[in-house]
Formats: sequence, C-alpha cells, structure tokens
Amino acid sequence: MSNEAKDLLGNVLTADERELLELYTRLKAMSARDDLPPVATANVKQAMVMLWNACNDLAIVHEEPGCD
Amino acid sequence: MSQTESPYWNPKTETLPKEQLRLLQLAKLQRLVDRAWHTSPFHRRLYEKAGVTPDKIKTLDDLRRLPFMTREDWMACQAEKPLFGDLITRPEDEAIRYHLTSGTSGRQPLRVLDSRKDWSWIADMWCYGFWGFGIRPDDKVFFAFSYGSFIGFWGAHYCCEKLGCLTLASGNMTTEQRVKQIVELGVTVVCATPTYALRMGQTAEKMGIDLRRDGKVRRVVVSGEPAGSIPAVKKMIEDMWGGKCGDTAGMTEIGTIMFFECDHQPGGPHIIEDHFIEEVLDPDSGEPMAYGERGERVVTSFGRGFIPLLRYKTKDLVQKVPHTRCSCGRTGDLYEGGILGRVDDMKLVRGTNVYPRAVEAVVREHPEVEEFQIILSRKDNVQDEISVKVELKPDQQDCWPRLQAQLGKDLADAHEGLRFNVELAAQGELPRFELKAKRLQDLRPQY
Ligand SMILES: [Zn+2]
Repeated sequence: MSNEAKDLLGNVLTADERELLELYTRLKAMSARDDLPPVATANVKQAMVMLWNACNDLAIVHEEPGCD
Repeated sequence: MSQTESPYWNPKTETLPKEQLRLLQLAKLQRLVDRAWHTSPFHRRLYEKAGVTPDKIKTLDDLRRLPFMTREDWMACQAEKPLFGDLITRPEDEAIRYHLTSGTSGRQPLRVLDSRKDWSWIADMWCYGFWGFGIRPDDKVFFAFSYGSFIGFWGAHYCCEKLGCLTLASGNMTTEQRVKQIVELGVTVVCATPTYALRMGQTAEKMGIDLRRDGKVRRVVVSGEPAGSIPAVKKMIEDMWGGKCGDTAGMTEIGTIMFFECDHQPGGPHIIEDHFIEEVLDPDSGEPMAYGERGERVVTSFGRGFIPLLRYKTKDLVQKVPHTRCSCGRTGDLYEGGILGRVDDMKLVRGTNVYPRAVEAVVREHPEVEEFQIILSRKDNVQDEISVKVELKPDQQDCWPRLQAQLGKDLADAHEGLRFNVELAAQGELPRFELKAKRLQDLRPQY
C-alpha cells in the first residue's frame, strides 16, 4: 500500500482526512475554472480556502492554492 | 467527545510530540524556502547574497543558514519599488485585503497585502487562541476596536464568525455606548487592548454600572500591548470585569497572532508551533539563547502566501520556557510573561536600565492609580531625571502622600536603587488611549 496518501509527517491519512483532502482538491480544481458564473466561482473559492485551512492545519497539505 | 468539549482547536498538531513537531516544521520550512526563492525577488536577493539555496535546507538547524530579514530591509524595498516592494509573491490584483502598520514611532508604515487564502489563515490562527482560551460558539463576542487600516483585531473578528459566535463590531461607538451595549446584550467575551479594557471599566464605574454585577463577561481577550501579560494589569481587568483575562500577541508583519494564553494560564502564552518557528536569539551576536534566557524574538511564518516572512527580527524581548510548564497538553513552548518589552525601548538613566513595561508592572500593583506617564528629562544639561506622573482614581485622592512614598520606594527597589520623582497629575490631565498606549516621553536632547 505504498501509494496510500500520507500527511506531511508520513502518516497514512485517516478516512476523514482523505475526505477533507478530496473535497479540497475538487474545490481547488473548480476554483481554477473560468467558465462558471460568478455566483459559482466566488463561492467555490471561498469554500476552497476554508477546506485549505482544515487540510493545512491537519498537516495534510502545505501549498499555495493560488485561486485569484 | 463532542467538538465543543475538545480543549484544542486542532488536537492533532497542538499535542504533537516535540520531535514530530520539529519534522512538521522542517517539511513546511523546505516548502516555504523553495517558494520564497522562486516567487519573491526580495528573498532571492537575500539568499543569493548569503550563498544559500533551497536544497541546502536539510535539517531544522539549517534554518540558521538563512539570513535575517529586518524591518529596515522591508522598508527599503518598499521605497525602491512603491507601494509594496518586490517582497510580494503574487500580482497585486490577487489581494483581497490591504493593511498597514500603525507607524507610532513616526516611521514609514509597512504595507501588507493578503490573498483570500491568507486572510482565511489569519482568522484560523486566532481560532487556535480563542478556542484555547475557552471561547465557544454560544459566546457573544464584543470587539472594542476601530476597524480601520490597522490590522488589530480584524482577524479575530473573522475567527469568531467562523466559530459561530455572535460577533459584535463597535467601530464607530463611544466608550459609553460600548459599555451600554456590552451590558444590554449580555456580552460574554470582550476584546480590547489592555489599556482600553481598563478604560471601559473606569467609564462603566463613572456611569454607575457595576460590570461584575450588571454584565455577563466571562473572558477578556487582550492584545496589542506588553501590559496584557503583566499580572497586576490582568488582575485589575479581572476585578473590573469579573471574567478571566487572557493575552494574545500578533503583528501586522504576520497578519495574525503567533501565541496565545490557554485556559490553564501557566504564566505565559503558548507559541503556535505548527505555524511558526520562534527563535530567541542574542540581539547582538545572533546566537540562540537557552530556555529561561532573555533574547530577541525572530519569527518564521508558514502561513502568509503574499508576503513570506523568514527569520524576521521583531525586536521583541522574550524568554522561552518549555511547554511542560503548562499542564494543558499543548506541546508548543511558552513565552514566560509574554512580550517583555522591545530590544530598543530600553532607556539608560544614570547607568541603570529602565524598561517601560517594568515600570508599568510596578505602578499597576497600586490599584489607586488610574493612569500614568513616564517622563525622562535632563537637568542643567547634565543629570538625567526620571519622573512618573500619576493620576489617581477620583475616590482615591486621600491616599496620595502614602502612595507617593510607596511608589518611589517600589520603583527604586525594582531599579537598583534609582531615584524616581513621583508626581501627582490633575484629574483628566494625562492622555487616554484606545490603541497602542504611549506612556513614555523622552524629553532628553537626542544626539
Ligand atoms: Zn497550556
């Protein structure tokens, strides 16, 4: 199981952590799109940075999402 | 355990064993240095000059290979390339917030920008502090804060919205209106500078309001002045408000707080070590100081993307002690007594070192004092004099001769026998403050 997702400390992610990471990743991808109406883009970006906080605080990711 | 029962905002990292915490810091540091190198011309220049590249950061000790960053460097880069210099890593139009330093010392202010993500992180750091000090979603939190361009409690406001508290802004209110609303709404948490928390308490007294009896405040969160960790100041605030007083410390350069007092209050705030590396160094030699030794805070922040801050010399004087001093279970170390003063606010008076915070600690032991000022002057162009001007509470005028003698003795005892002139000021004569209080005037000629 060497390709299991791990946190910055090398621990395998828990099921909840995997879900948070997945939500963040999906929101980040959506934030980068330029074909959505303003109502979707702006709110998705807001949601994305909140998920970034959870993932960053839990040492799951440490990156600049760069959505704007 | 339900979420409101957790004493920690982030149980996973706040209680990490120290060696794990160091690994996490290293992982974040490596990414931060790499990012600064590639996106901030300011940092690239500093590193090239020092001969260090991102691949050189292999252990946490390699942090010491990185050059210091100073406020002077930052100001110079702003002046060269207005308005923000080449420190920033992203195009200006990606920012959602602009703030600047209060510039109390008459210098050019520092200008900062934050992205959507940075701003959200800023609020999150406050969450560590507010949650750790026992603030919960059912609290009603009042911000006695001007909501201007100074960053102050801005992040804390958004933190409370995130926590789900009833969040009360009071930017345009007078002190009397603030006191009234705090009582009327049954506010449970008040946020202010220590000076202003005292002033609101004094105003309430004058309005005939007993905050302990008429109010519901159970926490006073202070920030912005070293006085927030002076036990006598805290006691005064607690006696007035009837709630526990907890200190936090932040800075515009970081955008948020780096340390906060937990609910156990072991005598100093915990450092949020999963988001910051706090070094304590000899201000002259740059050598690390041991636990319990006083030195200058040098901070590296992992959070703000727009403005990377690495090994930033803060000029704050601190004294670090191990996390084991506190029984709360957090593994972030503590700054005993909070920020003890500034490296450059030490005054030399007839051969004795005087720190304004130390004077305040003595003066505030006397609850009869309402306000005070420290004045340095030079007599006949030769002899330096230090005076403390004291304004008493309206109902305490009779204590003056006794208090004058006692204060003179206490101040001398705390300063190797240095003689202080203790003078009485008239009611309302001394200035009052809302933000950073200025209680020292150095009238000596500057050469
Ligand atoms: Zn603690």
